[in-house]
Amino acid sequence: MHRIYSLRVFRTNVGHNGMLMPVLFANPGIRKDTLVQKRAAGSIAQEVKREAADDEFKATIGLELHAQLSASQKLFSAASARWDEPPNTNVYAIDAGLPGALPQLNPQCVELAARAILALDGHVQSRSFFDRKHYFYADQPLGYQITQQQYPIGRGGYVQLGPADGLDYTKRVHIHQLQLEQDTAKSIHGVYPGYVLVDLNRAGVALIEIVSEPDIETAIEASTYVRKMQTLLRHIGVSNCNMEEGSLRCDVNVSVYRKGGDRLSGARCELKNLNSLKTIRGAIGAEIARQAAIICKGGRVEQETRGYDARNDKTYPLRSKEAAPDYRYMSEPDVPEVHLAQDWIERVRSMLPEMPEVTLARVQSQYGLAQEDVETMLNEPGCLAFFEESVSGRDPKRVSSWITSEIFGQLSYRNQRLADSPLTVQQFTQILDSISNDLVTSAQAKQLLISFMDGEKRQVSEIIKAHGWEVIGDESQLRGIAKELIDNHPKEVAGYLKGQERRLNFFVGKLMQSTKGQAKPQEANRIICELLEAKRQ
Amino acid sequence: MATATLLLIRRTTLRPRVAPYSSTTLKSALDEIDRQNPQLNALASCMSSTVSDTLDNPSHGPLQGWPVIVKSNIAVGCNTATTCASQSLAKYRSPFAATAVEHLQQAGAVVVGTANMDEFGMGSKNQSGIYGPAYNPHQIDAIRHSPGGSSGGSAAAVASGMCRIALGSDTGGSVRLPAAWCGVVGFKPTYGRISRHGLVSYASSLDAVGILASTVHDAQIAYRTMAVPDSNDMTCISRSLRDRIDSLAKSRPWIKGESNNNGKERPLAGIRIGIPQEFWVKELSESTLNAWRRGAQQLAVAGCEIVKVTLPHIPSSLPAYYTLALAEASSNLARYDGVRFGTRFPARTQTAALANASLKYAATRSEGFGPEVQRRILLGTYVMSASAYQHYYLPSQRIRRLIQHEFNQIFALPNVLSNSEIAALSDQPRPDGVDAILFPTTNDTAPPQYTSGDEGSQVSSYVNDVMTVPVNLAGIPAVSVPVKHSHGHGMPIGLQLAAQYGDDNLLLWIASHLGLQSCD
Repeated sequence: MHRIYSLRVFRTNVGHNGMLMPVLFANPGIRKDTLVQKRAAGSIAQEVKREAADDEFKATIGLELHAQLSASQKLFSAASARWDEPPNTNVYAIDAGLPGALPQLNPQCVELAARAILALDGHVQSRSFFDRKHYFYADQPLGYQITQQQYPIGRGGYVQLGPADGLDYTKRVHIHQLQLEQDTAKSIHGVYPGYVLVDLNRAGVALIEIVSEPDIETAIEASTYVRKMQTLLRHIGVSNCNMEEGSLRCDVNVSVYRKGGDRLSGARCELKNLNSLKTIRGAIGAEIARQAAIICKGGRVEQETRGYDARNDKTYPLRSKEAAPDYRYMSEPDVPEVHLAQDWIERVRSMLPEMPEVTLARVQSQYGLAQEDVETMLNEPGCLAFFEESVSGRDPKRVSSWITSEIFGQLSYRNQRLADSPLTVQQFTQILDSISNDLVTSAQAKQLLISFMDGEKRQVSEIIKAHGWEVIGDESQLRGIAKELIDNHPKEVAGYLKGQERRLNFFVGKLMQSTKGQAKPQEANRIICELLEAKRQ
Repeated sequence: MATATLLLIRRTTLRPRVAPYSSTTLKSALDEIDRQNPQLNALASCMSSTVSDTLDNPSHGPLQGWPVIVKSNIAVGCNTATTCASQSLAKYRSPFAATAVEHLQQAGAVVVGTANMDEFGMGSKNQSGIYGPAYNPHQIDAIRHSPGGSSGGSAAAVASGMCRIALGSDTGGSVRLPAAWCGVVGFKPTYGRISRHGLVSYASSLDAVGILASTVHDAQIAYRTMAVPDSNDMTCISRSLRDRIDSLAKSRPWIKGESNNNGKERPLAGIRIGIPQEFWVKELSESTLNAWRRGAQQLAVAGCEIVKVTLPHIPSSLPAYYTLALAEASSNLARYDGVRFGTRFPARTQTAALANASLKYAATRSEGFGPEVQRRILLGTYVMSASAYQHYYLPSQRIRRLIQHEFNQIFALPNVLSNSEIAALSDQPRPDGVDAILFPTTNDTAPPQYTSGDEGSQVSSYVNDVMTVPVNLAGIPAVSVPVKHSHGHGMPIGLQLAAQYGDDNLLLWIASHLGLQSCD
């Protein structure tokens, strides 16, 4: 394949100084999913109440999840799948739909899709093929999307929801099919008045679409299902599933029926572009309410596609059934059928890691950790392995708390993934051991962590030496400094002796300050206390 | 077979009226381009300036110094426009060259120009493109005839000595029909033998890069150069499948030493040629029918056994072909929206500019495509629409499979694509099968070339395709060989040979024994 140099340059990518300006996310957005999940716990309780109150109607819900595969190259070209680089730089001929260019299926994408359906306990189809789905849009370079309609790569499987996910019952959401397809280019509106800008970096990046059976009945189940799918796909290395970056997108089909009626009887409305767990819950709730209200009034729900206005908590029509495009599906003649041998499928299965639920239960019991902490680590790709490598011979609770508070804090501040951080398990364990061996204080340990995450290459011992950070273990030295402090602050000493206990903290603080944190706080406390008490006599 | 008729057959090599073809050199080609192209309009562009550099430093290889002309829908690289004879690509320069062109150049060939054609390969007379009509080098009574289409420029160029060989594309006969009408050899290899990378897609499942040459031998050399696997085209036959076809083809007892048989009295002894009855259509002209008969006799003399075969679904192939080809065309041509490349026409009205996305492209697609292309896109879009799909598209796919099946029934060689796993066990040539079939390339000789605005001939030009489309539907190789040349007695006539999927080498070998018939 040929890299394209002769693509039309889109005007607004060029800034005033003529430099190429990245219009798109130059940096991946901050991952807030884990925060969202924590926050969700409270509001879920409220929403459960709201849903329970409305028990005359029930909903039938099916989800279509689009997850960007973490393959390094696109589905049908050797161009890099990094769509967050300067616009129109990762584009090969087929990605721009140049005449004479033909698609080349990337085997890595096929394997990742197979991995996903196997992890869901579904079946990889021994024979699958691609279809063209036609519609005109500026972000659709070929005039059609190459997708799988009739013979997808995966069918069957399920996601099990239960108490571990915050529900007080268990439920299986079955998978209808899992298909491979191309992502579109990115249209950018409003940057350059009167123009729509097109960035082809994303054009042709591989997606899997996971279509669920309409097994879901509530908004909570829907968001729980999505969260669980996120965890699973990340865990098996298939996708980052980051809703903020758009590497996981969700369309929802909702229909409502009167309790006791046929659960598939209602007209189905599709809710498009729901890009956070919160909007998924909100949109489904609002749509169920809207449809229920129509039925209550004796009206009929029309099949249509709708969007969600989060501010007013209402869904609004995007297009009616009549305006729905005729996609004119046609089997893709440029890509031969994909035949996968049983032994290939078994090899992919054998390479699957332990599934998250199993890991969760094992890690929780093996190390005696709180479920929440294990879940948090499970949600950061590669983190549990990092934990398990660093925990041996150390206190699991201490290790996990360092990871989830200190390391995650730094990652979030740096807008970085653990996998992208230069911090190694060896550096991390050196830090932990330096604290346990009283070589550094925890404040200094945090400094060490920061410098390692900045890319520091030296050993812990070298850094300690360079900073002159050895903990002052020599009591007489500390005592000397403390004595001096007490002599210099007679007013505070008098206060303490009158019963102002907080003066103690003043002196400890001063002592830590003058030793630049090299004293151990407990030591300092004990010495100051002794010296002050001695003044009473 | 009466001895009297046999005596009439005189083996002659192709002796053209214009230039001694096989001795076409770069120099003579450029001279003929200068001399004849103003009348024939066979070329879309000529690269005489760049060519003169290579005259001094020819690259080595089996095609060393061969002047080649490439159809305008095959990319030759960024120095030359790849226009498909369409306004929508009038200035489009492909950043890459077609794999087939690269192979020719590596073998020493020199691209001297790009050929006129019907817009996007849609037409049988070479009159629908932006370059205007091309003309047939053969003339009778000063009437200017069509060279055929859509690779009309390529065929006319070979026939007039403007090149040694030319590349064309064959979706439903676009190489063989103009070859027959211009009196040259036109070869459409098995689907997937030559990479389609760089060939602008018309109907992907039918498209093939084809070769136009003045002798079967030249076509053979060019074919060997280009028929190699290519990772840029997933539908290009893999190395392993090629090997399997070869070993299967060589398992036939009489095949050993094809070339050893050359010069023998009956060089084709052991080969069975089928005469498919269904091509004996009422539109077939008397002279074509005669040429067909005598072609069969020629092969019989060379040692072939001639048998009748039947392909009952041939009459359905034309509607099935037009349904499938146009459906794929409407899909493949969807990318010409003026957004990323090609000519962009501004929306004509403010309302259109502000309307939904599809209307924004309407101006570009209305003005960029000519009427024939628009007609085919509309038909293709219709047959794939939800309401028509069941009634047109699906039945056409069924007919296509039936036709493939019927070809498999008559050929001795099994098709490696059908039941590949079972076939591995029972790969045995069928004793009662034929090795190739012989039938006319066209119903009649080249018609006069009308200038644009001639709508009446539309349907008749579709009808001509009935002889050529079945092999595209089946993906099998076919070659048109000139058997009659114009000597003031009529325009050239071509006969077609087709063989089993992958059996290209045998096909060309048989074809090399079909010679020019004497004039009555």
